[in-house]
Amino acid sequence: MDPAEAEFLAEKELVTVIPNFSLDRIYLIGGDLGPFNPGLPVEVPLWLAVNLKQRQKCRLIPPEWMDAEKLEEIRDQERKEDTFTPMPSPYYMELTKLLLNYASDSIPKADEIRTLVKDTWDTRIAKLRLSADSFVRQQEAHAKLDNLTLMEINTTGTFLTQALDHMYKLRTNLQPAESAQSQDF
Amino acid sequence: MAEGLEVRELDSDGSSEELVLTPAQLLRSLEQAWLNEKFAPELLESKSEIVECVMEQLDHMESNLKRAKHGDLKVSIHRMEIERIRYVLSSYLRCRLVKIEKFFPHILEKEKSRAEGEPSILSPEEFAFAKEYMANTETYLKNVALKHMPPNLQKVDLLRLVPKPNLDSFVFLRVQERQENILVEPETDEQR
Repeated sequence: MDPAEAEFLAEKELVTVIPNFSLDRIYLIGGDLGPFNPGLPVEVPLWLAVNLKQRQKCRLIPPEWMDAEKLEEIRDQERKEDTFTPMPSPYYMELTKLLLNYASDSIPKADEIRTLVKDTWDTRIAKLRLSADSFVRQQEAHAKLDNLTLMEINTTGTFLTQALDHMYKLRTNLQPAESAQSQDF
Repeated sequence: MAEGLEVRELDSDGSSEELVLTPAQLLRSLEQAWLNEKFAPELLESKSEIVECVMEQLDHMESNLKRAKHGDLKVSIHRMEIERIRYVLSSYLRCRLVKIEKFFPHILEKEKSRAEGEPSILSPEEFAFAKEYMANTETYLKNVALKHMPPNLQKVDLLRLVPKPNLDSFVFLRVQERQENILVEPETDEQR
């Protein structure tokens, strides 16, 4: 799955916006939204929020976990544990990237947040790499990882599964030495 | 106003049951089908009812939009949603077509030997496509190479030559609800 598709899925998450226009309820196929009144917060999916912001029709409100102290706690927690800690949102990476790209003016301490999220991401990816490494070395048949997000899985997903497939094929085609036919010249 | 849509689903004991889905649930199940198809190594069961219902919803919304020319913002929001749904639907169908083209002899063989009550893995259109693809491939191979070969080598068994989907390939899966007693078999010595 490519990162753009993971972002596509993340765009369905609901975020709060403050519109500067008014519109009555809209009945989308996926659910109802609105009504929109200037100055009153309303929840919309991220794809719509980003689009409205680009047209300068609203202000984006960051989710409550996107705050410097909270993220610092999360980062420290992640560094302490050996396993993956639960993240505030299964799409934390995509949300951070999109919101900081389009709405950094309405997010306090945007740069700090960017750094904190990147640090957390790096720690988690390092853990994932270690885990994948030991999986391959010990030739396990399965592994269980809790609290991974889609974006993290995508970084190694295809490579890991294909590499494991190849190794499996090589292993199952090994012939024991006695029954192998050797060529005598 | 979300109206219930009827989707005929096969129940676990094989009897057909009508499930009433809201449009939002329909979209969720299209997405599930899309993700499952993307990550599975073989062609999965055809979800034609979901595809048809989604197409109906899209057409219905399109015709509503054509009539309502006013309200630029509303129209553009609806259009964006339609584009998103269309993307998921096309990606799902394209994923299936790629698998059909890759594994066509095995898929057609499976379809031929399917029991009466079992659900089909191909929709009628996909079935026609697969058959045509097979016929075209055979004609192509014949005209390009086989007819120039010595007579005893002119037959080609596509079922043996085309690689089968690798059902032992590694996959990622996510557990939706807590399950007890799932046994994942380790590689046995016979498999080594």
